[in-house]
Amino acid sequence: MVGWGAAPSGQGRKPAPRAQQVAASEPLREPPTLKNLSSVPGIVEVNLTAAPARLQLVPGGPRVSVWAYNGSIPGPTLDVHEGDSVIVHFRNELPEMTTVHWHGLHVPNDMDGSPLNPVPPGGSYTYTFRISPGSAGTYWYHPHPDRRTTYQVAMGLYGGLIIRSAHDPLAERGIPERLLILTDNRFNPDGSIAFPDSQSIQAEIDLENGREGNVLFVNGQVAPTIPIRPGEVQRWRIVNASAARVYRMAIPGQSMIHVGSDGGLFEHPREVKELLLADAGRVEVLVRGEEPAGRTVALEDLPYDRYMPQTRPVDWDSTRTVLWLSETAGPPAPRVETPSELRPVPPTDTTHVANRRVIVMSQGLIDQKRMDLNRVDIRARLGTTEIWEVQNVVGMDHPFHVHGLQFQVLDRDGKPEPYRSWKDLVNVPKHSSVRIVLRFADYPGKWMYHCHILDHEDAGMMGILELTR
Amino acid sequence: MLPRLKVPAYVMLVLVIPLVLVSAAAVAHRDGPTPTPFPGSATDTILRGRYLVMSHACADCHGGFNNPANKGWMAGETGPEMAFLIGPCLVTPGAQPCFHTHPRNLTPDNETGLGRFTERQIFNALRYGVRPEDTPDVTITSTTPGEGNFPLHPHYLAPPMPWPSWRYMPDADLWAIAAYLKRGLKPVHNLVTESEGPPDFWANTYKDQLNIGPNPPAPFPTANEVGGGDH
Repeated sequence: MVGWGAAPSGQGRKPAPRAQQVAASEPLREPPTLKNLSSVPGIVEVNLTAAPARLQLVPGGPRVSVWAYNGSIPGPTLDVHEGDSVIVHFRNELPEMTTVHWHGLHVPNDMDGSPLNPVPPGGSYTYTFRISPGSAGTYWYHPHPDRRTTYQVAMGLYGGLIIRSAHDPLAERGIPERLLILTDNRFNPDGSIAFPDSQSIQAEIDLENGREGNVLFVNGQVAPTIPIRPGEVQRWRIVNASAARVYRMAIPGQSMIHVGSDGGLFEHPREVKELLLADAGRVEVLVRGEEPAGRTVALEDLPYDRYMPQTRPVDWDSTRTVLWLSETAGPPAPRVETPSELRPVPPTDTTHVANRRVIVMSQGLIDQKRMDLNRVDIRARLGTTEIWEVQNVVGMDHPFHVHGLQFQVLDRDGKPEPYRSWKDLVNVPKHSSVRIVLRFADYPGKWMYHCHILDHEDAGMMGILELTR
Repeated sequence: MLPRLKVPAYVMLVLVIPLVLVSAAAVAHRDGPTPTPFPGSATDTILRGRYLVMSHACADCHGGFNNPANKGWMAGETGPEMAFLIGPCLVTPGAQPCFHTHPRNLTPDNETGLGRFTERQIFNALRYGVRPEDTPDVTITSTTPGEGNFPLHPHYLAPPMPWPSWRYMPDADLWAIAAYLKRGLKPVHNLVTESEGPPDFWANTYKDQLNIGPNPPAPFPTANEVGGGDH
């Protein structure tokens, strides 16, 4: 549909009549999978190249300059199993330095793709790591160079990463799955990806809010359609690869079954009407096809006010369609019993807590400082457990992320977390605090912790945790 | 329903006309003891800060008026009558943009006040007008954006906070105010709504529309003043 990309950021669009939109909607396509070059069981060896390309981003739009992994946006999915040894031959064909950060994975420090280990333009790096037992879940990979993460991700560099368990209670029941990578972007009238002039007020708004685009994508498509048969149950692995957008997702008239978080499945499914997914976070949900056939519903992104009032977008309270769910005619799907037990999530042992810290997030600052790559902010020992109270003292949400591990949320504003799950990212709403428990199991070195609004981390809302033996 | 315009006795602020400020800061008390000189012990600094807070009428806006024993002393807005409306709507009803601003909780509460900010950040707010939550805990040595740790895109305290006048106080006085706020007050939990404002956080307002005056001030005597050696 011509004109999708032409509206400048901040202006809402009235949705077109439903039938017209659905007719213009393409069936969902999933990104390609990285080809395993190894035939040895338990080894996944792949080639990954970040390079400029020219791709069509917007339906009906022109080919524009992008940066892409292996020529596709999203990049190809890295699909591995627990226990696998992974070898990634990475080439940087971009005109600037970059890294590949395996978001959420527990890997050696020099394989984490942090800004401390940049790959120069024209350079190569071999990332090697083992996939930890128990880490099955939905993750993603993206650049993480110093101060250029927002730009490189906006230019198209991001991809999914699926870790599979040998015993997945949903796969064992034959529940089909789909990977949905959510992003947003904005475009100039000529179709190119729009970046504001550094002196402009839009640049200041972006710095405050984080970069938001008016065009929402799923796997690089605009409002695609997912077909589902009545009674069918599908598993959606949803990655929010946005720079800043928080999705408040719901399907009108039906509930979803929430089964997984950043670090994979939790213990028991929970039926929900809506789910909040902050940028860089992941959820896994089960969606059931409802009667009658022929019906089409939207997965909607409902309004959520995460903003400072000074820079709140005028259209923040509009509802957006993320994708269409189309109940197809045909024989109803065989009945699937969703399991009541998913997988154990043992509580992190808090009998010996080495340190209780308070981490204060204000606007662009952590503990009143900006990151200095030469400065260590927190020192901790391997093999210890710590409890961090992450406090947000300002008037907008900040999603807090720690590299190299999965933590558990203990409570939010003192209210205990109703269920245990593994997370590497937790949204800390305005004027609130969240307590998390972290176990520093392995891998010494300097690890980043930061607000995952990309513009904020680029501006230095980040600290360095050094783990030593 | 707009909140009633609150105009404290000594401040009137309209964006379309220059700021007119009559300070109530008395040079000397007539009714009570003169505060002990400083520097001295920490207590002296805190008492000095208290004297400055009282004589600069901070609590007229930030709560408690002229009695530190009053409930809500310096704890920020506790009712809509304490909010401000800033902008051309004061002259032309309905004119935009008009912003509601809210006096903050200046007690050292960790969640809702200044508890997580340092005395240096409070000093920087008074000296340079920059919001402590946006500005790192560093020494600022310039007022040129991007130099001497002055932010490239400063985010200013919302009007009608009279920081452009308070910045003329000597450094020691501003440090004393910071000390009183952080160490002389008990924390009070009172979450004040974030002030509205333009997306540049008043940077253009203070640069172009309100002549906040040079610091140090124009040399005495200017054409409006009488003085000089052979008077």
